[in-house]
Amino acid sequence: MRKFVFNLRLFFESARLSYIALFRWLRPGTYAASKIIMPLADIMFFTFIGIYANGVEAAPFYVIGNAMHLAAINGIYGVTMSVGGDRWEGTLPYLFGVPGSRLFTFLGRAFFHLLDGSLNVIIGLLLGWLIWQLDFSQANLLLLGAAIATATIATCGMGLALGALGLVTVNIMFINNLFFFLLLIFAGANVPIEQFPNWMQTISQFIPLTRSIAAARLIINGAHLADVQSMLLVELLIGAAYALLGFIIFRTFEYQARLRGTLEAI
Amino acid sequence: MSERNIAIRYIRPILMSAGVLFKQQATDLFVIFTVVIQPMIVALLALWMLGDAVDDAIYIVVGSGMTGLWSGLLFNGGNSITRERWTGTLETIVGLPTAMQVIVIGKNLANVTQSMASMIACYTISSLFFGYPLVVQQPWLFAISLVFTGIAFVSFALILAPLFILNPAVRSFQNGMEFPVFLLSGFLFPILLLPNWTNPISYALPTYWAARALHITSQGLATRHELLFVWAMLLGFSALYLIMSSWIFRAVLRKARVDATLNMQ
Repeated sequence: MRKFVFNLRLFFESARLSYIALFRWLRPGTYAASKIIMPLADIMFFTFIGIYANGVEAAPFYVIGNAMHLAAINGIYGVTMSVGGDRWEGTLPYLFGVPGSRLFTFLGRAFFHLLDGSLNVIIGLLLGWLIWQLDFSQANLLLLGAAIATATIATCGMGLALGALGLVTVNIMFINNLFFFLLLIFAGANVPIEQFPNWMQTISQFIPLTRSIAAARLIINGAHLADVQSMLLVELLIGAAYALLGFIIFRTFEYQARLRGTLEAI
Repeated sequence: MSERNIAIRYIRPILMSAGVLFKQQATDLFVIFTVVIQPMIVALLALWMLGDAVDDAIYIVVGSGMTGLWSGLLFNGGNSITRERWTGTLETIVGLPTAMQVIVIGKNLANVTQSMASMIACYTISSLFFGYPLVVQQPWLFAISLVFTGIAFVSFALILAPLFILNPAVRSFQNGMEFPVFLLSGFLFPILLLPNWTNPISYALPTYWAARALHITSQGLATRHELLFVWAMLLGFSALYLIMSSWIFRAVLRKARVDATLNMQ
């Protein structure tokens, strides 16, 4: 029990400190540019393209898709930098010297990004409501909150895997950018997945966001828990699988680094 | 000044700094992503989204390519002086007998030339993977528009780069400047879809005039009067930026030589 409480404390301390380390040194302007202006302009850009193609009545499709995709800003960029940042800041030896649970430390890196990422999505949806009168009258807001949380958890899972990759590659920003934009395509944020070739549809089934975006669209149109629960559960499992993969890479890196003395080799 | 002196004072340093930067960035994955992969992804999405809505896929190729041009200008051109600070070579450049502005023009030239790769990438994806027949309807006028676009972008980066180093607060908005310009410049949809109050902002952006020149010439819609007006706007902006940049560069040099605070983050 004592060990569990210690690990729980480690989890929250690790979560708080890694989040502060990522954002505290930034100016509020940087935070606003990265977390508010850029995401909102991103939604507006793709929504206006959609409106140009299909008329203003198609706006909800694009607003919801792109707003949900904003979860990936924290999930991919935030979490990856929180995990991989230890290598660049030279704090890996301290991290691996701590007697606490690696799993708690590792998962802790994603915790605050879950909250922050969900906030991104909510801001995006509010923008849709303000500009294109996105209609929430049919929506079960609690269920919509669950879909947003699912999207954020799943993208954070992928972020943990990419962050662990960041411990073994120097090109992590390239990988982050690539995955962020690939999610934009494959998750069906702007194009219905049915329009994709079969091989792309297959990939869509194994990535975060595909199901949560579809679920959010259904929920805003009035769907109930029974209609979307299996989608959300599968997406949570996908997120967990990515997080597990990340943890395996993390532990393998630790083992290899100890064995070969390459802890800080870049 | 004799022709030989002009070559030594301006042309050679411009070509040298352009050449060095071109080689440095040719294998930089961030640059490759910004000017090749991201525009290709935007083109891919736009082809799916706009495929039936526009008469000519060349509109999508040009618009997506413009996104790469702007991203390249913003992140690579905008950071061309800041990168020197990161690598500790800024003072060396400031101390050279060649004007710093001349060296930065060379860097911007390399950045803009590299960013033009985004057009080729978008052309390739539309033509090879989607099989769209892509024809530039007024090729000579398009080529001239592309040159004027390059001049305007090189000049614009002459403002951005020193501004970013003089005031880190402005640079902190760099991430937030990418998509708003995509929006306001009418790269992939007409700006008439935007609220009216945003139109004056669009008219004040060289990216809007560049996109307009390239869109109308590629689609064969350019009338002589319209095109001359758009070219005049591009060249006018270029001249304005060149004048403004000389003031800003003076401030940069003062910070370096008098205050000795240029290298402070």
